[in-house]
Amino acid sequence: MFFHIVLERNMQLYPRRFGPNLRDKLVAKLMKDVEATCSGRHGLVVAITGVANIGKGLIRDGTGFVTFPVKYQFVVFRPFKGEILEAVVTMVNKMGFFAEAGPVQIFVSNHLIPDDMEFQSGDIPNYTTSDGSVKIQKESEVRLKIIGTRVDATEIFLDGSLSILGIGPFSKLVTLKRLIPLSCIAS
Amino acid sequence: MSGEEEENAAELKIGDEFLKAKCLMNCEVALILDRKYEQLQQMSNDPMNQVSQVFEKSLQYVKRFSRYKNPDAVRQVREILSRYQLAEFELCVLGNLCPETVEEAIAMVPSIKTKGRAHEDDAIEKMLNDLSLIKKFE
Repeated sequence: MFFHIVLERNMQLYPRRFGPNLRDKLVAKLMKDVEATCSGRHGLVVAITGVANIGKGLIRDGTGFVTFPVKYQFVVFRPFKGEILEAVVTMVNKMGFFAEAGPVQIFVSNHLIPDDMEFQSGDIPNYTTSDGSVKIQKESEVRLKIIGTRVDATEIFLDGSLSILGIGPFSKLVTLKRLIPLSCIAS
Repeated sequence: MSGEEEENAAELKIGDEFLKAKCLMNCEVALILDRKYEQLQQMSNDPMNQVSQVFEKSLQYVKRFSRYKNPDAVRQVREILSRYQLAEFELCVLGNLCPETVEEAIAMVPSIKTKGRAHEDDAIEKMLNDLSLIKKFE
C-alpha cells in the first residue's frame, strides 16, 4: 500500500555550498539521499512530493558542517503481511511464479497456488486449472496475499499466496475466478 | 508498533504510525506521481534520466492498476468510502480492489467484520453499489 508521510530529517551541508540557492541545494541533496531508499520501518521511498519547512541551521562544533532540520512529505510503498494487492506476473517456473507490484518483487511458491492448477512447461510456461478456465502466465494480472516480507538496503522482497481467504487452497473456484482478475481467465 | 512479527493487515495491525498516516489509493498515487513527473519535465528535457527506477516502476504500476482515471472520480470514491467509518487502510484496499460482492469485500478486508464494528452486510452492499456507480458514470 502507498502512504503519504511527513518526516523530519537533519541534513548536513558544507559551507562551501552555501549561497542564494541554499534551499534548492538542500532539496536536491534530500532527494538524492532519500529517494529510492528502503527501510523496514517505512518501506520504499518512491518520491518526495514537497518540502514543508527548513529550520535554522546549526553549526556543528569542530567540523564546520551545518545541520538543517528539514521537514518533508513523501510517498512511500510499504507492504504489510496479510495485505492483498494486485501484481503483474513476470516469470513462471515449476517452483512457482514471480510477480511485480510496482517497485517490489513477489514470489509465490507452487505450494501456495491452488491444488487444481497444474504447471505446464513449453514456450510460455504457465499454471492452468484442470478445466482450462484460469491461466497464469507472464504478464497476467493476479491478486495475491502477502505472507512474508524481507527488506534489504535497496529492495523489498515479498512472499505471496494465491489463497486469499487464508483457508488453504481455494475450495471454491467461483471465488477464485473473481479474486484472480479477469486477465488470467481464458475466454 | 509492537514488533514486526505481529504485523497483520487482515486484522488491521499495521502499526500506529501507518494507521494514522495518510493512506493512498493507487489512483491517487498516479495523480501525485504524474504531477511530479510533469514538474521534472519542465526542469529538464530528459526527465527519464532524473527519476529513479523505483519511481518509474511505481508510476507504471499505479497507472496499470488505477480503477478511476479522472481526478473528480478519485475524490468521489474517497468521499463515499469515508462515510462508512473505515480506517484509512481499509478504505484504500477497497478503493484499489473494488470488490463486487459482500463476500469478496470481507475476504479482502476481514477487519471490517471484526471488533464488533457495526458493518452489517446491507451497509457493505450499499457501499459497493455506490462505488460501482462512480465507475459507471466516470
